[in-house]
Amino acid sequence: MLVLKDIHARYGAITALRGVSIEVQEGELVALLGVNGAGKSTLLATIAGVMHPWQGSIHLHGKSIVGKTPEQITRLGIALVPEGRDIFPSLTVEENLRLGAYTRKDRSEYQRDLQEVFSLFPVLGERRPQLGGTLSGGEQQQLAIARALMSHPKLLMLDEPSLGLAPALVDQIFDLIARLNQSGITILLVEQNVGRSLEIVNRAYLLNTGLIEMAGTPAQLRTQADIEGIYMGDKPRNLS
Amino acid sequence: MINLEFIINVLSLGSLYAMLALGLVIVYGILRLVNFAYGELIMIGGYTMYLLAGFSPLPWLLIALLAVIASMSTSLFTELVAFRPVREKSLTAMLITSFAVSTLLQNAALLIISPRARAVTLPKLFSASVAIAGVNIPWRNILTIVTSLVMLVLLTLLLRRTTLGIALRAAADNFRMTRMLGVPANTVISAAFAISGVMAGMVSLFWIGRSASVTPTIGLPPLLVAFVATVIGGMRSLTGAVVGGYVYAILISLLGVLLPQSLLDFREAFMFGIVIVILLFRPEGLIRSKTSVERIG
Amino acid sequence: MNLKIRLPQWISHYATPSLLVLVLLVLTILADVVNSTLIERIVTVMFTSLILVLGLQLFMGNSGILSFAHIGFMGIGAYASVLFSMTPEAKLLSIPSLYPFLVPLHLPFWPSVLLGGLIAAVIAAVVSFPLMRLSDAAAVITTFALLVIIHVVLVHWDKITNGPRTLFGVENFTHLWISAIVGMITVFLAFFFKESRVGLRLRATRDDAYAAASIGINIVVMRWLAFTMSAFLAGIGGGLWAHFITSFSPYAFYLTETFVILAMLVIGGPSSVSGAVVGTLVVTAAREGLRGIENYINIAQVLPQGVFGFTEVVLSIVLILILIYRPYGIMGSQELSWSQFRRRKKAPNEFSLSSEGVKDV
Repeated sequence: MLVLKDIHARYGAITALRGVSIEVQEGELVALLGVNGAGKSTLLATIAGVMHPWQGSIHLHGKSIVGKTPEQITRLGIALVPEGRDIFPSLTVEENLRLGAYTRKDRSEYQRDLQEVFSLFPVLGERRPQLGGTLSGGEQQQLAIARALMSHPKLLMLDEPSLGLAPALVDQIFDLIARLNQSGITILLVEQNVGRSLEIVNRAYLLNTGLIEMAGTPAQLRTQADIEGIYMGDKPRNLS
Repeated sequence: MINLEFIINVLSLGSLYAMLALGLVIVYGILRLVNFAYGELIMIGGYTMYLLAGFSPLPWLLIALLAVIASMSTSLFTELVAFRPVREKSLTAMLITSFAVSTLLQNAALLIISPRARAVTLPKLFSASVAIAGVNIPWRNILTIVTSLVMLVLLTLLLRRTTLGIALRAAADNFRMTRMLGVPANTVISAAFAISGVMAGMVSLFWIGRSASVTPTIGLPPLLVAFVATVIGGMRSLTGAVVGGYVYAILISLLGVLLPQSLLDFREAFMFGIVIVILLFRPEGLIRSKTSVERIG
Repeated sequence: MNLKIRLPQWISHYATPSLLVLVLLVLTILADVVNSTLIERIVTVMFTSLILVLGLQLFMGNSGILSFAHIGFMGIGAYASVLFSMTPEAKLLSIPSLYPFLVPLHLPFWPSVLLGGLIAAVIAAVVSFPLMRLSDAAAVITTFALLVIIHVVLVHWDKITNGPRTLFGVENFTHLWISAIVGMITVFLAFFFKESRVGLRLRATRDDAYAAASIGINIVVMRWLAFTMSAFLAGIGGGLWAHFITSFSPYAFYLTETFVILAMLVIGGPSSVSGAVVGTLVVTAAREGLRGIENYINIAQVLPQGVFGFTEVVLSIVLILILIYRPYGIMGSQELSWSQFRRRKKAPNEFSLSSEGVKDV
């Protein structure tokens, strides 16, 4: 469904992506793993149209989306939940959600979508008239995901959803992601939490300083290298 | 000295300044752009009034409407032609552009009409007064207060009840994220410029209404007022702009009463000194908000 | 075959300003030789404008911050220098309410102008230090506030400036070669500042403030030094101009002049000293040309009413077009050098790849 080939991207003089190729099939739950600065957020930003690659191609359902604006890409069915959530602090929970539904043509669906979202995230229902800025970190994360869901995305991209959350909440988020995928949403998950990610995904890529170092199913990755060990800094890297 | 007349004066001035500041902040909140050409939108409103009132038989209410439309159209036009192409480049480029647009509009008026002041025919109501509680209150002041209240209500309705309004508020919070939800950047920005133009148009009605004349440079004093009021109110919130407008009106009126004659002329310098102090120590203005200004040193 | 002659380091180091000064020298000689007071006037004023544009380039080009206050310091320099250079009798005539302690002060021309520059620099130093730590957007707004404050003070402080009224009686000390030589020296000054330790560090902060701070560059101090230096140059320019025009009012140092100087810098290219020079030359030529057309139309009474503001309209349109199509100005971000005559280099594209141009304040 989503195919990236040989993506090169830059911030000014710094090259963030040096030839990245990944694929996400419809219905999959794919993880993009890597440490800080590996280029994961850059890759998502490039897919979302916030950045333009200076080389490489991105195809959604066979059609190229490179060079399109973020608005256009959202209308094609890609929703991004950015790192840091980026909810609107001076809008209420409901207004945040309403804006998430901006691209929906069918206005009558709005109330139904809202109820669905509130059943998935009961806490948001409770906080409906409250300002986004007054929510806790975990609640904001839920709001960000709920807001993305309001647009009925075909591809949901999540950038470090567990970042900064308490362990109990982390579990909740990963359960939610798994459930969302089971209900049919294709998900591209960027995470530093390797262990939990590998538990729920179909496949994963390991990104390191702008290049894909490893790819495969969780089982394959675990046998290829002590992936968790690399992250914990226990063992020296041994990849070939 | 501080009597009903004074209070109504201050309220009327504050209402005017509140509308003024709103028009400036609505663009600043989204683009971080201080639109130097904002004052010229008021000038355009003024010249429209001059041309229509002086050379056509149209009723005044229609003239006022056309003046507001003229300001709004000019605002939209400058956005489309001058600001949109440089938007992606840098804030500095936009600032210089707005300065250039301001100069362009001013000198176009100078060129096309005249460098001299032109008298604007105003409806008789603008010079009439009504007696309330034994004091003579100019109708003009009452109109200003009422109009600005109406505009505030309309604007609030727009911002809170309509999707576009919610999108505008969201864009002021986080423009990039708003785009990523599918809201077209151009729509939001054009809407902001349109609102800015409407506010400028309304202000021009009453600003010209006080002086009954228009010159190419008439846009500068209100721009400076909007500037200060906006900074007082914290530059990022619309509520702040309204508060800033009233605070500025109160301050300047009080200074006019309290300061000795010799220092009176320096009022404006004083207000801009306050601008610098606020930006240094409390950039969020008088209204508490969650965001803070980036500092390096 | 591509012949590359390796020049010794020091020649290429001085190449750019020398080239610029050479052009300016030729221009001055021509202006001197041609027997026209008009041309002499134009070129003399052009050099004072050049000093101002170079001063602005020194701050804006290296720090990346737009400063609206620059012309304010020109005004301070102008008034300060005049207060020293005018004889006591002239002062009493021009500024009736002048402070008594200022009346007897009398210095020759050069010390007056220098003092004007120094006073502008000192005021800039004192006032600007707290402002230098603000972010770009806030910094711009505060410089604008500074301009307004300086303007209001100049307009209303009767006892020093004669208020909003014109100040007469300044001696015409500034001649073509005086203006030209100071201008040419300023080209060297601006260039050496750019390549100096302060200039280099400042440009590092322009490109990436956080990275610069992390290697120990004190952004606030660097900006402050540049701002003070640029105010000094503005003051000198103001002093020279005042002694050319011999009568002026505070309105000469406000938004109109700010626009002209800014236009010169941006059209020429704010990142380089060459840009400042080229911009000044081009805009001066254009303005005089347009002004000539304006005058012709007015005198010949081709149109029923006078044509005013035409020059400014054209200039602002050109400025807008430059910002849209060639935002780094005529020079791009390049300095003039010998290699430019052999092959044309495209200005580096420094725009970020994202479609977002605006950072959150």
